[in-house]
Amino acid sequence: MELTLAIIITVVGASTPILIAALGELVVERSGVLNLGVEGMMLIGAIAGFVVQFHTGNPYLALLCGAAAGMAASLIFGFLTLSLSANQTATGLALTIFGTGFSALAGSSYSARPVSLMQPLFPSDLSAHPIARVIFGYSFPVYFSFIMVVAIWYFLHKTRAGLILRAVGENDQSAHSIGYSVIGVRYMAVMFGGAMAGIAGACFPLLLTPQWAERMTAGRGWIAVALVVFASWKPFRLLGGAYLFGLVMTMELYAKAGSGPLSAVPSELWAALPYIATVAVLVLISLRRDASTNAPACLGKPFLPAN
Amino acid sequence: MQFRLEKRREPSRLMSYATPFAAVLLTMVLGAVVFSLIGYNGIGAVREIFLTPLTNPYKWQDLGIKAAPLIIIGTGLSIAYRANVWNIGAEGQYVMGGLAGTGIALLTYGMTGWWVLPLMVLAGILGGMAYAAIPAFLRTKLNVNEILTSLMLTYASVQLIYYLIRAPWKDPMGMGFPQTRLFSEAARLPTIIPGTIVHLGVPIAIIVGLIAWFIMTRSVFGYRMRVVGAAPHAARYGGFSENKTIWLAMLVSGGLAGLAGVLEVAGPFQRMVPGFPTNYGFTAIIVAFLGRLNPLGVILAGIVLAITFVGGEVAQTTIGLPNAATGIFQAMMLFFLLAGDILIKYRLRRVSPQPSVGAA
Repeated sequence: MELTLAIIITVVGASTPILIAALGELVVERSGVLNLGVEGMMLIGAIAGFVVQFHTGNPYLALLCGAAAGMAASLIFGFLTLSLSANQTATGLALTIFGTGFSALAGSSYSARPVSLMQPLFPSDLSAHPIARVIFGYSFPVYFSFIMVVAIWYFLHKTRAGLILRAVGENDQSAHSIGYSVIGVRYMAVMFGGAMAGIAGACFPLLLTPQWAERMTAGRGWIAVALVVFASWKPFRLLGGAYLFGLVMTMELYAKAGSGPLSAVPSELWAALPYIATVAVLVLISLRRDASTNAPACLGKPFLPAN
Repeated sequence: MQFRLEKRREPSRLMSYATPFAAVLLTMVLGAVVFSLIGYNGIGAVREIFLTPLTNPYKWQDLGIKAAPLIIIGTGLSIAYRANVWNIGAEGQYVMGGLAGTGIALLTYGMTGWWVLPLMVLAGILGGMAYAAIPAFLRTKLNVNEILTSLMLTYASVQLIYYLIRAPWKDPMGMGFPQTRLFSEAARLPTIIPGTIVHLGVPIAIIVGLIAWFIMTRSVFGYRMRVVGAAPHAARYGGFSENKTIWLAMLVSGGLAGLAGVLEVAGPFQRMVPGFPTNYGFTAIIVAFLGRLNPLGVILAGIVLAITFVGGEVAQTTIGLPNAATGIFQAMMLFFLLAGDILIKYRLRRVSPQPSVGAA
């Protein structure tokens, strides 16, 4: 019982940053833009969050600054791909290379300096009982990620703004001809995606390992991009996908701790498993008949008004 | 005074060749400004990173051996990207090439003979090809995006190194270090200039680049790659199968990344160590773009990126600039290059504000 609860709590911690980053990317892709720079924006958010937490000890300010840093990074991508219609694939890759270098440079004087982890949101009396802890024992980003799943679903399907965003992603020329600013909508979406990636990155020092390590997001940003495909661009499926990956990563942690049946397999295989699982999941999703029909029709294509 | 973008009738060749140079120059100028603003010696950083490796003859050999893998991998990637096949897992294919070569070196340990090294090279190429075949298969059979699969396989390949050198391939006399034994003489890449570290991989890189240039400009294969990338519909009418092109692009880029991997493990490393993946596979993406996806351009771009690597190490020791600064300079180059792309299709035209008719 104790172990099950501990596992659930670890899974939630591992899944949260992936879910937040993937939700941001989902909105970006729904507007017709493919930003492959999630990993880079997460690293920039991670170092910004770490530095603020280190100097102020205020995790909410750290999350906010992580969001701002991620958003600033996304503007580089937005300017190049939207204003200058540069190749989205190449620009996203460049953003990841930049984020890796930038975070390593900014963090070079902070290695091996610990920060404190973010405290649970609710008072500890509420989570005294083990079962209650599974519900009330988490810090703010966990609840934020759940709220955002519902909020993004509601935004996309129940609001006028969401309809416009989807229209821009499905048929940019029509959206343009009836008077919507395709580029404007896409800028907003890209900035939202950047903020979410920044928050997701800041979760690493605040929720998972309370220190700065170069490349600490370890490819989670790429997994988030893959999850959007896996989820067929639907927020609730993203929730399921992120938790599936959280479970796989938690198995790795328990295998490395070196006890029980999991440790019979080489630890390197466990470490490789999330990436192999991503490939497997992409294969599975491709076998479904509706797989590619769900992709936003304008995904990855630069917008140039016809007239 | 106002400027307006105006579509060119044809893409500008001049701009296509001029923008990479402009991107490097802009990186040097703005890099100096940015690094000064954040409290480093900006001018010193640019001088050490971009100029010292060229002016100091002792650094030329370093330039050669850093440029070689970048050119070899960048050449393969430029061919794949030409065909719109986005292999971004060259780092993983490089690792698999290195591992395949290591496997042969360990199997033939203690043997002598001229055939050991060619066998390793062959294994390395095949290792890289085999690893690139996975995303190629998934893309052609199941329409799975090759960007994500090739990248995910890179992360997995690094874990395979860790496993092999921790357990089955571990050096029995390595005092517990996770690494293989030092390769025997026959499995080491010879140096070609006595007294330096310049190994056989350097001329191989130049030859690979020249052959690729010849093939891309003078053969049906090259024509096929260029047509499929530039005009997929026309290519289909012309009878070029898309799947076959994807396979060719992945196998060529994977095989060359594997070649770079085996040359690297047999040359500078001479054993497999945890630090073998050195991001050449990712940096080669910048090399391919900066070289305008043209094999001759890739040779030049490979040298430019090698300069920043060598210069980054110089700046670390001389002015205490963290090594991560190199990555920022490299990313800046790519950003400026991509931003400059718009000048190929558009021209900047000055428009004088027109006096409106109703005024006066």
